[in-house]
Amino acid sequence: MVDAVAKAPRQAGGIRRFIERYPFVPALVIMLVLLALNGIWQPRSVSLVGITGLVKTYLALMLLAVAQTYVVYAGDIDLSAGAIVSLVNVVIVAFMAAMGGSAFSVIGAMAIGLGVGLACGIVNGIVVAAFRLQAIVATFATSIFFTGLALYVMPVAGTPAPATFWRTFGARYFEIPFVFYAAVLLAVILSLLARTRLSLQLLAVGDDAQGAYQSGLPVTAIRIRGYALCGLFAALAAFCVTGDTASGDPLVGGKMTLFSVAAVVLGGSALAGGYGTVVGSVFGALIIGLINSLVYFVGTPSEWQNLVQGLAILVALVAGILIGRRARA
Amino acid sequence: MAKLKISGVSKAYGATVALSRGDLELEAGEVHVLIGSNGSGKSTLCKIVAGSVKPDAGEVLLDGKPVTVSGPQAAKALGIGIFYQELSLAARRTVEENICLPDLPMRGPFVDRRALSEKAARYIALFDGVTGGGFAADATVDVLRADQRQLVEIMKALATEAPVLIFDEPTSALDRAQVDRFFEILRRLKAEGRAMVFISHRMDEIFAIGDSVTVLRDGRTVGTSRIADTTPAEVVRLMVGEEQAQAAPAAAAETVKTDGAGPVGLAVSALAGPGFAGVSFAVRQGEILGFGGLHGQGQSSVLRALFGALPLAAGAVTLKGGAYRPHSPRAAIRAGLAYVSGDRGRDGVIQGRPILENVTPIHFLRNRLTLARPGPLRDKATPAVEALHTRFAGFSHPIGSLSGGNQQKIVIARWLIDRPDVLLLDDPTKGIDLSAKADLFALVRKLAAEGMAIVLYSSEDAELLANSDRILVFNGGRVTRELAGADRTRFNLYEAAYEAA
Amino acid sequence: MNAVLDLLKRPLVVALALILLLLVVGELLSPGFASPTQIMRLLIVAALLGIVAAGQNLVILGGREGIDLSVGGVVSLSAIIAGNLMNGQDAGIPLAIIGCIATGALFGLANGLGVTLLRIPPLVMTLGMLGVLQGLLVVIRQGIPSGRAAPGLSQFVTQPFLFGLPGIIWLWVAIGVLLALLLSRTVYGHRVYAIGSNEQAARMAGVPVAAVRVSLFVLSGVFAAIAGICLLGYSGSSFANVGEQYMLPSIIAVVFGGTSLAGGKGGYTGTMAGAMMLTVLTAILTTVNIDESGRQMIFGATLLALMLFYGRGRAMRA
Repeated sequence: MVDAVAKAPRQAGGIRRFIERYPFVPALVIMLVLLALNGIWQPRSVSLVGITGLVKTYLALMLLAVAQTYVVYAGDIDLSAGAIVSLVNVVIVAFMAAMGGSAFSVIGAMAIGLGVGLACGIVNGIVVAAFRLQAIVATFATSIFFTGLALYVMPVAGTPAPATFWRTFGARYFEIPFVFYAAVLLAVILSLLARTRLSLQLLAVGDDAQGAYQSGLPVTAIRIRGYALCGLFAALAAFCVTGDTASGDPLVGGKMTLFSVAAVVLGGSALAGGYGTVVGSVFGALIIGLINSLVYFVGTPSEWQNLVQGLAILVALVAGILIGRRARA
Repeated sequence: MAKLKISGVSKAYGATVALSRGDLELEAGEVHVLIGSNGSGKSTLCKIVAGSVKPDAGEVLLDGKPVTVSGPQAAKALGIGIFYQELSLAARRTVEENICLPDLPMRGPFVDRRALSEKAARYIALFDGVTGGGFAADATVDVLRADQRQLVEIMKALATEAPVLIFDEPTSALDRAQVDRFFEILRRLKAEGRAMVFISHRMDEIFAIGDSVTVLRDGRTVGTSRIADTTPAEVVRLMVGEEQAQAAPAAAAETVKTDGAGPVGLAVSALAGPGFAGVSFAVRQGEILGFGGLHGQGQSSVLRALFGALPLAAGAVTLKGGAYRPHSPRAAIRAGLAYVSGDRGRDGVIQGRPILENVTPIHFLRNRLTLARPGPLRDKATPAVEALHTRFAGFSHPIGSLSGGNQQKIVIARWLIDRPDVLLLDDPTKGIDLSAKADLFALVRKLAAEGMAIVLYSSEDAELLANSDRILVFNGGRVTRELAGADRTRFNLYEAAYEAA
Repeated sequence: MNAVLDLLKRPLVVALALILLLLVVGELLSPGFASPTQIMRLLIVAALLGIVAAGQNLVILGGREGIDLSVGGVVSLSAIIAGNLMNGQDAGIPLAIIGCIATGALFGLANGLGVTLLRIPPLVMTLGMLGVLQGLLVVIRQGIPSGRAAPGLSQFVTQPFLFGLPGIIWLWVAIGVLLALLLSRTVYGHRVYAIGSNEQAARMAGVPVAAVRVSLFVLSGVFAAIAGICLLGYSGSSFANVGEQYMLPSIIAVVFGGTSLAGGKGGYTGTMAGAMMLTVLTAILTTVNIDESGRQMIFGATLLALMLFYGRGRAMRA
């Protein structure tokens, strides 16, 4: 019954296999090219100061893209991620302000912030996975609810964060900026998380939820955990936003949601689930940042900048998907 | 005491009864064969035991104690492992990850990659030498061939080390060497005292590996016996039922009359495409040409390629004397071709829509209509639907309200409003009931008698023998034998199908 | 009893009942809420959302995770273009309509081609397009003076026209009737449902799947453009990102109208009720005397509660 015609095996070529294993490679290449272009137009942008500025501004988006990636792994989406950032931002700023801004209050605020992010994530998970609502509309509804909570905590923007908080975020230790320590810590956490059972299970659920269920995986619980993880990373993103803006704003994260989705796609993950990496999403966030700065450096007139950025991101999204598909075909 | 005893389980999906009364008694240390035609309820019975389908009624006893299999997780905990016919693999994950997915080896909070590789390697080693090219522990499943994926699902089921193992058609894509190896493993597990259920459509396999056999027909268990005490003929008789066993020869006699010698309707030469090569044949108007052979030997691919649904690599096609190049189903329909797929859920039925909308799309295309006025459409559709004796409450009812057989009749009725010149039937009776089959074949013979050129692929040999004027036997993507006239016997068909290509 | 239960399962019936209930609640909370003039105002606001949702509805019906996140951007762009082309003069209205619809169709076409030819997931394609549209808005606002609505347009949207109702409500009704006929009485409509329900089966039945899908995105752009023109008439002048508020609500209106996000199931009549329901709900929350935070929390929680009525996913174990 074996026949060369009927069962011609698909050749697993070297590049194909490489990209299959490291789906973030196209994103990495695009990122490096953008970095080089930034350097050509503005040599200072690739200096330590320039890179520090980039990381400092986009660390929050990197973290939020990572947050989004964990739900995208399982084929879900979280349109409330930005609202969680806003909520955690105002909660920790309000708490620190109430406690007088001591170092102790900062640590307490961060613990509370992580708790709030986790709780929001679990609510999303229950609504989407246990109640079986469509992720897009359900997390949009929770985003309105979380925004309402944020407005309750802090009706208007402007409460300053204590100096200890944002000074630390902008500080240098042993000549190295704090954000680099944060980035290294992030890399360590991500590599540890990649080795957990949850990462593998989320990907398996996103690949084929019915198959995963039939294999005996607790699909609902896994998806809820994915949302919980998303909430935690959104809280971390909120810490960075707070460090960067040094104040509380109940609407600060709203615009970040769609960028986090774009960063995930730019990073080579499939929105349908089952395929992707968190590292890619980090690169995706940096690609967005580098496009924005490049558009500025090449001297685009200010009113045209948004359009050029929008076009460049659209082109990068489409190109990323096409390259990824090509490499795997 | 039986290891596993299932009594009186049933399951209905809306109006469709998938299983009306399933009984099964499985002993430790045996391979228990479950057999029945498509749609007889075998898979449903297995899925109930494995927890992925919730039964409406019935009882499951494990080691004599009544148990509730509340889900696949519960089944895992009870020691029941299963091979799913439709596979339960994550395509983007590697072979070793898939094998270990139900029970990942952990080291503290992390997946123990080394233990995972070692565990998977043990099961991969069982099939050493027969896995074929491109198979590797770290290859993702989506690059594997159908047979290799099936092996991974087998390894995954074996890795559960469950005392009760269910294999729902594990050999359908495997080659002889792979099947032999799998049977060696089953014999070893049998000696260890495991209880196994095995489903297959290949009679030789059943008698090679089975200890006892339970036959299902139309959703109920109709008999169980020791393999040693029965014969293939006896099993077939149980499968098809008393009346059917006698009805078949009569139908066959009738076909001889349809032997026509009209002009050639469809001619194909040196056709090649995904899964087939060097296929040449001609069908005359008024003739029914059968495609035979084991499942998945290229028959379906040839038909789909002719209809423009699969790309053709080489070859020439002549349709009613003119050159024809299939590049899309749309073009094929315009050229006068019709195609009926056995996988009506995938290729045929537009779920959730009214029956009328499911009958009319071809009519729209052939007549380049823009308006869909229900009144005139009903008038057009009524004779088409009645020609198949379709039972339905009204054209506005959703197609999902019909039984599988009647749904397929609606899909076929699509092609009867404006008659095509050539009808391609791709295993059209898969999973439909006997009376619907009879209605369908009566119509097919009538269409042939009226001058249509028909190609019929059927995975059921009896259907093929009873309804085709000539049979081309496919093996490994090529036509290996042509059976005509008195050569059209079950023996010749089996011999051609099973001989090594 | 069973008949009643069946009736309750029909999204349109649920939506209409909820609208009535909300109107009663609104009247109790704030007398005058359900007065004829108020209801007319609500209908105008609902029509704006409803027209955007018409295009969103079609794209979603077409399946394969169809969704259009760029509608809000097209609404804003159309409002600005219309304002500049008519600049307060009735004579400019025809040109404005043509210009806006052409622009909407163009962006819809780009989305549709990206989704079909390049096989980019609709969510990604339209999200990227939204970024482009937002950038374009900045350029246009800087380059040309902000325009004003022509008096005729404002009258059409806000003043009674026939039987005491303004023209926009008649326009909405006309769109509703046309879409109902298009979906149920034309071959095109059948094809939309077919590709949304089972794309493979549709292809095998000769449906030109890609062409139909592209046309749905084009229609979505056109409807968003029409809504943009009307929005200009409603507010008098165009301002930044007026359309953004329609992006996700247009999807919610479709879902509340009983259309499945999976495609192939639903229709526009329900969406009209969904748009009305969302509008009334928002209006109640603005009339009652609670602050913005409470309003948002109640709105979010109510949306979630309502979603439990509709299209819950299939259980893993059947």
